[in-house]
Amino acid sequence: MNSILSRFSSTNALPANFDNEGGRQDFQDSINGAPAQFDLPGTEPARFLSQYTDVDSSNPAARIKLQHGTTTLAFRYKGGIIVCVDSRATAGSYIASGTVKKVIEINPYLLGTMAGGAADCQYWECRLHELRNKERISVAAASKYLSNIVYSYKGMGLSMGTMICGWDKTGPALFYVDSDGTRLKGDVFSVGSGSTFAYGVLDQGYHWDLTDAEAQELGRRSIYAATHRDAYSGNTINLYHVKEEGWEFIANYDAMNLHYDGPGDNVPGAPGGGYGWDVRTQGLSSKLEATEGQQTSGQGGRFADEQPLTASVQPPQA
Amino acid sequence: MLGLQPGSSTVVPTSAPVGHRFEPYDSNGGSIAAVCGKDFCIIASDTRQSTGYSIQTRYKPKVFRLNDKATLATNGFAADAEAMVSRIRQRLEWYRHSHGRSMPLHAIARMISTILYGKRFFPYYVYNILGGLDEEGKGAVYSFDPVGSYEREFCRAAGAAQSLIQPFLDNQIMFKNQHSTPEHTVPKPGEMSLPDVLKIVMDSFTSATERHIEVGDGLEMFVVRTPPSAQGEAIGAASVDLKAMGGVEAVGGEDEQEEGAVMVIRRELKKD
Amino acid sequence: MTSVAPQKSKSGFDFSNYSRNHFLDGKGLGGFTATSTGTTIVGLIYKDGIVLGADTRATEGPIVADKNCEKIHYISDNIRCCGAGTAADTEFVTALISSNMQLHALHTGRKPRVVTAMTMLKQRLFQYQGHIGAALVLGGYDATGPQLFTVAPHGSTDKLPYVTMGSGSLAAMAVFESGWHKDMEQKEAVDLVVAAISSGIFNDLGSGSNVDVCIIKKDSTEMLRNYVMPNERAKKEQKYGFAKGTTRFTKEHIYSMIQKEDVFEVGSTAPTPAPLPAAAAGAGGEETMDTS
Repeated sequence: MNSILSRFSSTNALPANFDNEGGRQDFQDSINGAPAQFDLPGTEPARFLSQYTDVDSSNPAARIKLQHGTTTLAFRYKGGIIVCVDSRATAGSYIASGTVKKVIEINPYLLGTMAGGAADCQYWECRLHELRNKERISVAAASKYLSNIVYSYKGMGLSMGTMICGWDKTGPALFYVDSDGTRLKGDVFSVGSGSTFAYGVLDQGYHWDLTDAEAQELGRRSIYAATHRDAYSGNTINLYHVKEEGWEFIANYDAMNLHYDGPGDNVPGAPGGGYGWDVRTQGLSSKLEATEGQQTSGQGGRFADEQPLTASVQPPQA
Repeated sequence: MLGLQPGSSTVVPTSAPVGHRFEPYDSNGGSIAAVCGKDFCIIASDTRQSTGYSIQTRYKPKVFRLNDKATLATNGFAADAEAMVSRIRQRLEWYRHSHGRSMPLHAIARMISTILYGKRFFPYYVYNILGGLDEEGKGAVYSFDPVGSYEREFCRAAGAAQSLIQPFLDNQIMFKNQHSTPEHTVPKPGEMSLPDVLKIVMDSFTSATERHIEVGDGLEMFVVRTPPSAQGEAIGAASVDLKAMGGVEAVGGEDEQEEGAVMVIRRELKKD
Repeated sequence: MTSVAPQKSKSGFDFSNYSRNHFLDGKGLGGFTATSTGTTIVGLIYKDGIVLGADTRATEGPIVADKNCEKIHYISDNIRCCGAGTAADTEFVTALISSNMQLHALHTGRKPRVVTAMTMLKQRLFQYQGHIGAALVLGGYDATGPQLFTVAPHGSTDKLPYVTMGSGSLAAMAVFESGWHKDMEQKEAVDLVVAAISSGIFNDLGSGSNVDVCIIKKDSTEMLRNYVMPNERAKKEQKYGFAKGTTRFTKEHIYSMIQKEDVFEVGSTAPTPAPLPAAAAGAGGEETMDTS
C-alpha cells in the first residue's frame, strides 16, 4: 500500500528495478496508475536531459523548455508560518504562465512551495500526501522523505527548491529541501531567482513576535519587492498562513495592483495605498504637476513652463 | 558518399564517416489553442505537419476526441504525440471497462500528468492542452508542460506560434490590459458566447498563418458542449447551430458518442 | 579561446566584432540573426531572352519579416540579379556591383555585359570566403546574346539554360526539369517560371506570398512586380477596436500646442486692415500697423 514509504524510508533507496531497456512500461502503469519505474533513455539520463531539456534556462538551444523562474518565501513566527509566492513561470524570456499555483497543498496541515522544475515539485510533493499512518506525519519526517527521494535521483537531472511548511506536535515547523539533497530546518527561507530581493525586505521586517496582520503584510511586501525587481518573478501573489488548525489561504493579489493601489481596503496590517507608485513619484520635480493658474506648454518641466512660446511678427516700419 | 583515395591508381569508393548520434526528437511545427466558456470548450489546431522547411503533410489532425467531454490537443514531436495519445486512449478504455463510465476530465488531467512524468528522464517532446467539460458541465482547459506540470486555465496557446497567439488571447479572452470606464464595462473572463469565441480563435490562426511559416493549410476547431438533445430546451452553447457553420460530428474515442456533444468545424488556411 | 586581433579592412567591412560575436554565439548568447530570404529564385533562357522569377517572402527564423519584399535587383538596364540568402548582403552586393557596372560602362563607352557583372560578383564573394551570404541568379541580354548565371555565396558560378537558387530551389528545379525545353515562346516561358516559383511558394516554408517576374529581351526589360498574387491576406472575422479610456494611465497632462499668430501683409499692395475689435486689439498688444 505505502509503496513510497517502503522505498524511501532510508537514503540508499535507489530503486533496484531501473532498467535501461526503455519503452515497455505501459502495462505496469495501467495497473499501478503511476509509473513504478521511469522510462530511461539508452544513454546516461543527466547528459541526455541537459542536451534536450532546459530546466534552468542554461541551454537556449534545447527544444524542450521547462517552466522556471520564481520567488517563494516562508517564515516561522509566533503565530505560525507565513507562506507567500509569486505565480510566474518563464521559459527563457517568454512568460509561459502567469497563473501558476506555486503553493502545493499536500494535506490540510502541510504546504510545499515550488521553485525549479514545476513538474518535479508537483509530482513528488503531491505523492507526499500518500504518507499516512495512525497519526499525522511530522513536518520533519515528510521533508526527510522528500529529501531522500530526490537524493536517490541525484545526478539524474531533477531540479527543485522547496519549503515544506506545517504545524505538528512540535508547533510550526519549516524545512528547506532541494534537489541537491540539502535539507535545512530554519525560521526564514526564500527560494528562487527573486529571493535576494525578498530577503532584503523580509530580514529588515522580521521578528518572532509579529502579529498575524504584520506577518501577512511582511510576506506580501517581500514578494512584491521581488516581483518589482526580478524580471522572472511577477503576475500575482498567493498568500497562505499555517496555523495550529491547519493552513488557511489568505488571498491572491495582482502584483500590479499592489504597486499602484495596494492590497485593498481594510486589509489588516496594510497601511493603505499602493506599495510602489506613490512613494516613487510624489514630490519629484520631474513629475511636477502644474500648479493652479500655471499654464503648461512645450515639453514640460519647470523652466519650459515659464518660457513664453507665443511668437509674433513685428512688421517693419515703412 | 564516394571519394577519391589519394595515391591509388584506381578509383576506390570509400564511405565517409557517418555519425550515429542518438537523435530521438524532431520538431513538427504547427500550433494549438484552447478556450473555454461557461458551458463549452473550443480546442483548435492547424493541420500542417512540417520538418525544417519541408511540409510532411497538409492534413494531420493534432486534436483528438477522447470522449464526449474531453478532447486533447498535442504539439511538438508528432511521433511522441501519437504514441502518447494511443496510450491515453487505452487507459481511458480500461477505465470504462472497470468503472462503467467515462473518466472525468480532472482525472484525465492527472493521468496525463503522471504519464508524462513517467518519462521524466526521457521525456515525450509534446506540449498538451486538454479541453472539455468538468463534472459540473463547465468548460475547462488544462495545459501541460512536456514532463507533466499542469494547471487549469481559461485559455492557452502552445506550439510554434504560441508567442503570437497567447498575447492575443490574453487580451481578447482574459481582457488583460483592458480597464473599465464609466461608459464601457470590460466583461469578465470566461463568459463569452460560443460564436464570439469561435471568431477569436479563427482570427488567431489566420493571423498566425500570416506571420509564422510553420502554421497553415487547415484549421480544425473542436467544440465540446452538453449535447442539444440532453436538454429539454437548448440554451447557451447547446442552442448554437454548429451544423450551419459547417460543423460535423467528431469521431474517435472510446465511448458511445452522443450526437452534437463533440463537433468539429473545419476552415481553410493559407498554404504558402 | 581563440582570439583574433581586430583587423582593419581596406574594403569597407569591419571585422573587429567577429571574434566577440563568435565567442558569444558559442555561449548561446548570440541572438544576432540577420533577416534571410529563405527563398525561391529562378531564371531561364527562352527564344528571345531571359525570364527571371522570385517569391516575395523574407523571414527571420520561423517568423515572416516581410510579406512582399523585392528580390529581383537592378544591375543595369539590360541586367537583373535575383538574390537569396542574407537580405542585407544580397541588397548591398548587388547595389555595389550595379554601381561599379555603371562606372565600367561609362569608362568603356559600351553596353555592359553580364559576364562582367558575374566576374565582379564572384571575385567579391570569393574574397569574403562565404561571409557575404548571397546566393544569386544573374541574368541579362548583352552583345553576346542572352546570358544566365548562378553565383554561390563562396564565389563559384554556373552557366546554364535554366537555374534555381534558395531554399525552394529543389521544388522549382523539379518544375523546370519537367517543363523546360529549348526555344520556348515568351508566354510559355513566363508560365513555367510562375509554376516554378509557385512550387517553391507552396512547398517550401521559407518561400511564400507573391510571384515577381522579370523579362529581359534584346531591346527591352520588363519588370512584372507581383505578377501573380496567390496568397492574399485572409479576411478577419471581426474588427478589434477599443473603447476610449480602455488603457489605464497614471497621469494626464494636456499641452497647448496651438499658438495664435497675427500675420500682416506689408507694402503698397496690402489691403487696408479693418479696425481690430477691442478685445483682439488688447490681446495683440502693441502690434498695430503704420500705413503712413
